[in-house]
Amino acid sequence: MTTVDQPTPVLSAFRNTDLQTQHTVEQFLYAEAELLDDYRFDEWIDLFTDDVTYWIPNRETRPIRERHLEVAAQDEAAIILDDKFFLKGRVRRITSGISWSEEPPSRARRLITNIRVQPAAKPGELDVRSNFYVYRSRLERHQDWFVGQRFDVLRPADPASGYPFQIANRKIVLEQTTILAPSLTTFL
Amino acid sequence: MVDLNELVDSDRGRVDPRIYTDPGVYERELEFVFGRSWLFLAHDSQLPKTGSFIQTYMAEDPVLVVRQRDGSVKAFLNQCRHRGMRICRADAGVSKTFTCTYHGWAYDLEGNLINVPLEDRAYKGNLDREAWGALKVPRIANYRGFYFGTWSDETPDFEDYLGDMAFYFDAVADRFDSGLEFTAGTTKWVIDCNWKFAAEQFGGDMYHTSISHASGPIALTDQQVVRGDPNLVQGRQFGGDGHGSGGYIYPERNMPPNFFRGQQEHEFTEDHLDEIEARIGDTRMKKVNNHNTIFPNFSWLGFLWTMRVWHPRGPNQIEVWTWSFVPKDATEALKREIREKAQRTFSPAGVFETDDGENWTEVQQVLHGFKARQNTFHVGMGLGHEERNAGGLPGVTNDVFSEVASRGFYRRWHDLLVGKSWKQIQKEEAARVSAIPESQPELAEGAR
Repeated sequence: MTTVDQPTPVLSAFRNTDLQTQHTVEQFLYAEAELLDDYRFDEWIDLFTDDVTYWIPNRETRPIRERHLEVAAQDEAAIILDDKFFLKGRVRRITSGISWSEEPPSRARRLITNIRVQPAAKPGELDVRSNFYVYRSRLERHQDWFVGQRFDVLRPADPASGYPFQIANRKIVLEQTTILAPSLTTFL
Repeated sequence: MVDLNELVDSDRGRVDPRIYTDPGVYERELEFVFGRSWLFLAHDSQLPKTGSFIQTYMAEDPVLVVRQRDGSVKAFLNQCRHRGMRICRADAGVSKTFTCTYHGWAYDLEGNLINVPLEDRAYKGNLDREAWGALKVPRIANYRGFYFGTWSDETPDFEDYLGDMAFYFDAVADRFDSGLEFTAGTTKWVIDCNWKFAAEQFGGDMYHTSISHASGPIALTDQQVVRGDPNLVQGRQFGGDGHGSGGYIYPERNMPPNFFRGQQEHEFTEDHLDEIEARIGDTRMKKVNNHNTIFPNFSWLGFLWTMRVWHPRGPNQIEVWTWSFVPKDATEALKREIREKAQRTFSPAGVFETDDGENWTEVQQVLHGFKARQNTFHVGMGLGHEERNAGGLPGVTNDVFSEVASRGFYRRWHDLLVGKSWKQIQKEEAARVSAIPESQPELAEGAR
């Protein structure tokens, strides 16, 4: 295992994670992306804990002194704020064959990068930040790009599930304030 | 060049698809339709204190809407008078002044020019600051906390402009003693379609819902969705002065909770039954609750608590700006329930909304074809079956599965486009309405 001294001051953005943890988290997120890219939504939904919050807050353009207001709080506007029940509902819908914004289905490819890991508040859980670049192609020539950052909380999972973690929280912050797409039916 | 006179035939329920694509028509509608209509600017709750502002648009024109020191709301073009730079580049916030970041001309909360860098040396006393303030929106109406603005002197006063639509707007805007508030933040996205598809549909199209949105309910409940026979569902659609409102008729003032209607909402309504009935009456509690457009581009869905503006962005694109709204005195739990429902159903990821965008983009795509544009679209549903003041609903109404509002929408759009005066438009509308037979059929109440 490589050791890298934590530089001072402690506010540094540098995170030193042991190789095994880093590797496992990365492979988990890649596996998750694979399930989505391959339309394996029923397996994907099982990666989330029953108490998960899946949240894409609204975002606005604000001056520097009001930057703290740029990303909406939970009692403000959101693109999605779902619990497990409604996240499952979205999967039920887009796999129904009568969900016309995904029937015929879009083709999407997810690039998950810049994966940074640190211990979460709850022992055993991990705070994982990652960047994503998601390309969607739809019908004849429609295309969208969704770019942003995920803030995940990963909880150790029952090894029998085949996955090392479940996602106990996901916050997605998009870079666009006006979403330059007619719909966001691609899971991020 | 298209012949403007031939584009719409509301008497027969026909439209020429070039109204959705033609750049010349679009340029003209910016001036003659949007420029002569009342456009939604902001809700009271978006401007909580002195200096609170939002940047919005009147069609393609960026405007700043600002809370004044005296509590009133004013609006002006977000364009510096020197070289036309945007004066303010934030979506929202609180400010004392707006300073152009190009050469530094500064404007106060009313849009008056108050500071010019190097004024003495550069302008040598030859700049009349009073004459060079930001272009003000000359008329602003505050209707129950909803601010609308128009550039036009000729347009009738807002309440006159609303006409019978006031009855339907009030079902939402005047429902509660405490009034309404918008959830903070504007959700915005882009759809490659003409703005009229969206505005017209929200005014006059219940017909699409069970087909286009077939999958919506599946996302909201894990139970089998039981659909009533649409032939038995009762409902009415209103169309007047270009506006539209439609909805189903409920047998009770407060329907039991279901996957559209949360427990909190049901309980709040139960607690406020007398209040709501005193304000809007039994008829509106049961019969006015669903899809609405105030001409030209302000829409809402009553029972889903979503409001929006369809900002035009050329003939082939819109920006949707949407907000959820809640009773001001609602509990935090109810505000949350409403907000999440509105987001879940009608937002860029909404399990109903995304179906609409899919339709409109496909329609717009097909209109690249020259044959497709030479075609004629049918807007004739229910033509000739209009009634006046039916079942306690004022104005001209028709079956909920009709296009009385759509025909009215295109008629008003066309009248403005060809350049008819507002006086003439209103005179013709009044004559048309009075020619429709007045009837008081008992509207059957149907469960849904």
